[in-house]
Amino acid sequence: MSAGSDLREVRDTVADLLADRVTPEVLEAAERDGWAAGVWEPLHAGGFTTVGVPESAGGAGGSVAEACAVLEAAGAAAAPVPVAETGLLAGCLLASAGLDLPDGPLTTGVGDVALRDGSLTGRLARVAWASAAARIVVLADGPDGTVVAVVDPAAARISPGHNLAGEPRESVDLGGVVPETTAPAPPGARDDLARRGALARAAQIAGAARRVLEITVTYTGERVQFGRPVSRFPAVADHLVRVAEQAEMAAMASRSAAVGAGPDGEPAELDVAAAASVASEAAGLVAAAAHQATGAMGVTREFALGVLTRRLWSWRDEWGGERAWSTRLGHTLAAGGPDALWPTISRGVRV
Amino acid sequence: MIFDPTPLSADEEKLRDQVRAFLAETLPAGFRPGLGLGGRHDPEFTRTLARRGWVGMSIPTEYGGAGASTVRRFVVIEELLAAGAPIAAHWIAERQSAPAFLRFGTEEQRRWFLPRIAAGECWFSLGMSEPDAGSDLASVRTTATRVEGGWRVAGTKVWTTNAHLNHFAAMLCRTTPQGEGDRHAGLSQLIVDLSDEDVHVSPIPLIDGEEHVNEVVLDGVFVPDERVLGEVGQGWAQVTAELAHERSGPDRYLSILGLYRAFLDAHGRHPDDVRAAAIGRIGAQLWTIRQLSLAVARSLDEGEAPAVEASLVKDVGTTFEQQVVEMLRDAAGGEIDPGGPTMFDVLLAECVLNAPTWTLRGGTTEVLRGIAAKALTRGAR
Repeated sequence: MSAGSDLREVRDTVADLLADRVTPEVLEAAERDGWAAGVWEPLHAGGFTTVGVPESAGGAGGSVAEACAVLEAAGAAAAPVPVAETGLLAGCLLASAGLDLPDGPLTTGVGDVALRDGSLTGRLARVAWASAAARIVVLADGPDGTVVAVVDPAAARISPGHNLAGEPRESVDLGGVVPETTAPAPPGARDDLARRGALARAAQIAGAARRVLEITVTYTGERVQFGRPVSRFPAVADHLVRVAEQAEMAAMASRSAAVGAGPDGEPAELDVAAAASVASEAAGLVAAAAHQATGAMGVTREFALGVLTRRLWSWRDEWGGERAWSTRLGHTLAAGGPDALWPTISRGVRV
Repeated sequence: MIFDPTPLSADEEKLRDQVRAFLAETLPAGFRPGLGLGGRHDPEFTRTLARRGWVGMSIPTEYGGAGASTVRRFVVIEELLAAGAPIAAHWIAERQSAPAFLRFGTEEQRRWFLPRIAAGECWFSLGMSEPDAGSDLASVRTTATRVEGGWRVAGTKVWTTNAHLNHFAAMLCRTTPQGEGDRHAGLSQLIVDLSDEDVHVSPIPLIDGEEHVNEVVLDGVFVPDERVLGEVGQGWAQVTAELAHERSGPDRYLSILGLYRAFLDAHGRHPDDVRAAAIGRIGAQLWTIRQLSLAVARSLDEGEAPAVEASLVKDVGTTFEQQVVEMLRDAAGGEIDPGGPTMFDVLLAECVLNAPTWTLRGGTTEVLRGIAAKALTRGAR
């Protein structure tokens, strides 16, 4: 009925690939150095970094749902590399403009950028892994409309920055940079990019939330206080249930939006808005309940929970948080009027 | 387990269109929607629905039903609940009693009850709770004593919705006195005819002023052997199986759909960002919870028994319903006016007074979370 079993296979394959590679030491080193070659290379060699980008453009092919399945597994592992950025974001942006993918990690970002007489002006804020990327893909306003421009990061002025998880989020000053390649962007390219960004983060949140549940259940089942595992106390068990519920919510929301995109389509505006709203809200609830359940141990740098909760707290706002997406969705639903409300919400997924 | 989303098939979509068209032509203009499963008790509506084959859909054809899948039934009840249709007459009979007869009933009981349920002519109430047995159902005191040809039942049941209108109730009774050991042993389900002269029904008025729940006093009512449901002594297992099976249906998130829709009508023409955010957040949550509930239904059709997920969905759904009432009240602003001019005014007042029951009926939030937590932690040890 659904493509569920294929997607499960993708998630499991990526999870197996990452299991021994994303270790606490690797994560610490990645926060220090801004890069984790030992994580990136096997993912890239296996073709997992460009799933969802058509093979004709040099990607690995596959659907948006498969791309999100990769991202869910990468999110669960806290893989400190730009999988979302290379494939679903920069990669798809290039393909949509008829450009081939350069090899290596790619990234993209949002900002007021213009193309004048062959060189760029403006800056991008909080670009993921900008300095580590082989190329940065930019949407710029040109004299004849929006263009997709490919930039060598070495040519731009990059100022450091991070998110709460220590993942690079850098400011990129493009003033005077001459792009290597440009091509006209398809109509709606900015909106498409924003939707894909929000969907990618929702999938990563779903993966991380599921892993948080596993860690929290295991820890509270082993930690003994007052003579029994703390998970036997109803008040603690209540936190576990809330984590489980919100992990289910985030997964169902992001998977529904991803599956709804169809084999090679764009994810629908309404679906992505709903998924981003639900996943971003779930991220905060999951992190709070998991930390309460795991007590002081949970907030130590040594414990596995923090690498995930710091990502949840970061990813939920990247490409728009729950209020931003709820507001967009609300205006759309309101414009449809009361009679269209239930038919729209119950439309469900199409495969 | 975390579910993948499941789509409706073309056939299921077609069924949905048929139900929508039926409701559009059957419910009058300006219809005041019921709050999901709190819809009104309307025998005529139930019979009309039954003529379409939409009551007791999962009853096999040999017993007068449609032999439909869980998902096809999901499609129909979801539309009925979304419209706030008056479904109370057949709701328990079709959701709870028919599956119980199918699983535990005798052939004779199936042949007698199921065609009547499917025809919309046989209505049931639940007979579980008692004054001293709410969440702790094993402590029921209603006693059935062996007599010639059957049982004499004595005790008091409470919160028995529509017992004054319905025909029967499956009463959970103690058939063996509680011993030292398993306190869940010795319970049985007996089908009591609510029109019997030894059954005394009186209303328990609730804070909304309505009188649809009742106290039912069983004053030595005789129940013949052929009205014992399932095995004597197996009542506990039967009741818990029923509960787990039906926890995560659309009744757990659609109590607020009428209110949500009325908000759009009253305050959603050109909403500011605060109201838009409320509309959008509710829409996003509803869209997701619905997909979860549908996924549970689909997995039941595929032969799985996702009891934990069903508990989680019920908890998420009912908690969400309560949040919706507060969010829309806050977004609308002003005072709650039960006599206000708009449908939103009227429904908001009704929802505020009813919302506390949403996380109580069919298992309180605390009980559900207890069940879910036990299952979650079992795997970890």
